[in-house]
Amino acid sequence: MPRSSRQWDEPPSFPSTHFVDTRVYTDPTLFRDEQVNIFAKTWIIACHESELPSPFDYRTFRHPAGPELVVLRGDDGAVRSFYNICPHRGNVLVHEPAGNAHKLLCIFHGWSFDCQGNCAGITRGKEGYQERFGTTDAGLRGVRTEVGYGGFVWVNMDDDAPPLRAFIGDALELIEPHIQEPLEVFHFHKVVVNTNFKLWHDTNSEFYHDYMHYFNRVTGMLQPGYFDRKYKPYPNGHASVGSMQVRYDKYDGSQERRVGWPGLAPGGWILIDLFPGMTYNLRTSVIRLDTIIPLSPNQTLIEFRGLGLKSDTPEQRASRVRDHNSIWGPFGRNLHEDLLGVRGQGSAMRDATTGSRWVLHGREEDSSIHDEVGMRHYYAEWSRRMGRLASDPFSGAA
Amino acid sequence: MNRRALVEETIYASLLRLDAHDFAGFLDICDPEFRYTIGAHSPEIRQDMTWLDHDKAGLRTLFENLPRHKSDRALLSRHATVYSVFSPPDAAEAKAVTALQVFRTTLDGGETQLFAVGKIHDLLRLADGQARLLRRDVKLTTRLLGIGSHIPF
Repeated sequence: MPRSSRQWDEPPSFPSTHFVDTRVYTDPTLFRDEQVNIFAKTWIIACHESELPSPFDYRTFRHPAGPELVVLRGDDGAVRSFYNICPHRGNVLVHEPAGNAHKLLCIFHGWSFDCQGNCAGITRGKEGYQERFGTTDAGLRGVRTEVGYGGFVWVNMDDDAPPLRAFIGDALELIEPHIQEPLEVFHFHKVVVNTNFKLWHDTNSEFYHDYMHYFNRVTGMLQPGYFDRKYKPYPNGHASVGSMQVRYDKYDGSQERRVGWPGLAPGGWILIDLFPGMTYNLRTSVIRLDTIIPLSPNQTLIEFRGLGLKSDTPEQRASRVRDHNSIWGPFGRNLHEDLLGVRGQGSAMRDATTGSRWVLHGREEDSSIHDEVGMRHYYAEWSRRMGRLASDPFSGAA
Repeated sequence: MNRRALVEETIYASLLRLDAHDFAGFLDICDPEFRYTIGAHSPEIRQDMTWLDHDKAGLRTLFENLPRHKSDRALLSRHATVYSVFSPPDAAEAKAVTALQVFRTTLDGGETQLFAVGKIHDLLRLADGQARLLRRDVKLTTRLLGIGSHIPF
């Protein structure tokens, strides 16, 4: 029976932990608070070390809290990150997304900086600034950087944040044994989709939507072991999903994966969601890594990476590339469907006028694969960091 | 029909059939040894990437599986200009480079936006007055493809 306006607006008859107010996906004030209270204080993956193989290699990154960064490998081998901003007149220092430069040279007035963030030269500095200002006053803004957990480059805007290890804790325990060998990125593409960033992470945090994926239904949901997969929550809002044996041969035109992954059982699949918007997805022969960069309450940039082993033979690498792109590339079967789903949510929840009021996270199945505990765990952390209840964000309660 | 006209007509026909979702018709003008790829160069990771790679049988299965998947129903329109055709007079094959623009038209309201640009590098087999696609490599300049596509370009 259709519900009346009053019934539609009534909170669901679940505990407040089991639904969220859709304003968490639409409200500009909450969005700005998320940038300040969450993204500016948590560790975020900027790139992978294989994107910076040589001294003086650099890579740019649009940080989810707002600033443009440049990540550099120094001549000492260390990876450092800085605001990609000339401290003189605020121009972007590095314009290309990747490259190699012994010095970062601002094209505007010729100020230069070395790979450790020191100002190396100010054109006609003495003439213009005399003794009032010099290179020692003009260093770049450094950003805390660590490399770890499979060779990813993590950055944190907060100078006082706990170290990366404290942020991750044991959340990557399922995948850590499988990312001890050096990895290498072979795939990168971006997607801009009109939806809130959390809706993408929500999709990565629940498998109930396998009903949307024909590929996952026939290779997973209809196979033994699927409903034995369990969610495990970890401190700081992270969660993992245990493995099963995916039967790739059950999809027409597919076949058992030719290459596996060190230590992973054939057909294995481990997924780790990291707060506030990163996902490690090791699926039999390939790792996919998602990094979410919110652009506005209803627009999200997602960076997708595919990784194999640095030691791959050309044949092994080609096999991993095929496996990756069959489901996860821009022409893959699954990614398109996931993006259709969140785009639809973004349309239905584009702002407060659209009438969507609540989103349910109420499924309880002993933390198994269709349980929505992953999302509940995420929003508990969101509420803690925001000082607001996700189910009632403007009540003043946390 | 001269060689260039034959090659051009075959390329244009292949794109029109994809526009019309006439996938069987598209495969009809592909050689049994046909191979199709879509790729792009990533300045971010400084590598060439292959995003789709199928032989004729693989493409046929991809097309047959389409109804089982949830796909964007917006219409794709391929606009192409064959820039160059290379085929010596007695050769059994021809190479062609074609500029490609793909437009996406929404079902609701019919808004059209440019979806992707790139180039098609074709190798065609010529025999008995007919041309058949032997190899097609779509090299995309556009890499920001929104929600992507289940249907090849």
